[in-house]
Amino acid sequence: MTAPTPLNAADADRPENATAPLLALRGLQAGYDGITVLHGVDLSVEPGHVLAVLGPNGAGKTTTLRVIAGLHPALSGDLLVAGRRVNGASPDELARAGLCLIPEGRGIFPNLTVRENLWMMTHGARGAKLAQIEEAAFARFPRLGERRTQVAGTMSGGEQQMLALARGLVTDPAILLLDELSMGLAPLVVEELYALVAQVAAEGVTIVVVEQFASIVLGIADRAAVMVNGRIVSEGEPSVVEATLSETYLGA
Amino acid sequence: MMGQQDRVDQFKSEISQMGVADPATGRDRMLLIIGAVLLIAGPAVCLIGYISSHGTTNPLAQNDATVTAIIGLSLTVAGGALFVRYSVAQFLRFWLARLSYEQQAQTDRLVEALGGAAAPAAADPDRVTA
Repeated sequence: MTAPTPLNAADADRPENATAPLLALRGLQAGYDGITVLHGVDLSVEPGHVLAVLGPNGAGKTTTLRVIAGLHPALSGDLLVAGRRVNGASPDELARAGLCLIPEGRGIFPNLTVRENLWMMTHGARGAKLAQIEEAAFARFPRLGERRTQVAGTMSGGEQQMLALARGLVTDPAILLLDELSMGLAPLVVEELYALVAQVAAEGVTIVVVEQFASIVLGIADRAAVMVNGRIVSEGEPSVVEATLSETYLGA
Repeated sequence: MMGQQDRVDQFKSEISQMGVADPATGRDRMLLIIGAVLLIAGPAVCLIGYISSHGTTNPLAQNDATVTAIIGLSLTVAGGALFVRYSVAQFLRFWLARLSYEQQAQTDRLVEALGGAAAPAAADPDRVTA
């Protein structure tokens, strides 16, 4: 197996003791209305690493993230965060500790301005003032600074996704969960967004990113897993997973 | 912003201090159902007590019926408490948390405004206020 190369430059900044997983799922099962959609998912992410979870529509990727974020109960199995079993923890407790989910569809307030959207995060941003939050967000996303008084719903999809990312990052997350960042966006915008995600990863934030489109996300990931029908069918180094991706998707 | 290692350590510390109840969704649901059942069964037991006392002139039987009715009443109260605890309160806790937060913010604003008003007054002792 080959070592992951894309983020080697950032490895020096990564937290020590990176061997113990910061986030781990053990035999996780979850479902909706009596129908099980996750059938014993096992995953783990070490501190400062990026895990890409790939898979077709309906594979259970979003459900996995929702369970991790405490938004959906697990039927069985263990959800371990920082070595502690946190099944049943409320989403606000997990978010307050530093587990941040950027959901599919961005989850911004479309009728509020960029500034007001960031303002909403003053409650969750560890006592930070609005001015500090704006400074941090606009330094990372200058385009949002130009649009600070614009109503979020009138911005382009990419800018809305940037706002969602900015809102998540101002909470200073220890674990960032990204759900389908590329949804509905042009390839160039997706590249731009993933460059930002790579930058965040290089700063040492632990990231779990769920995607349908493998090519870009595998470029920034340290490990990758493929999920099909609620099961992890393949996991390993991104290069290895990429090589077998079509076989895994098609079940050949 | 703190270093990432510090952030991870802080995160681990916060997670370890977090008061996580065991996954109790199944138990909560069961208690909710028990509460609802007791809310229906309690008055039914009271009714049984009433009917049994109504059909007899025997004071001993009537005493038994009174006890039955009291048990029914107790079941109703217990059922009501369980139902409120595991349904309405669960729903309202977000509202209560929001209300509490707003109240705190309002108090902070008031204290800040009073502090702002007191400062100029202290600076100008001759100032006449209505």
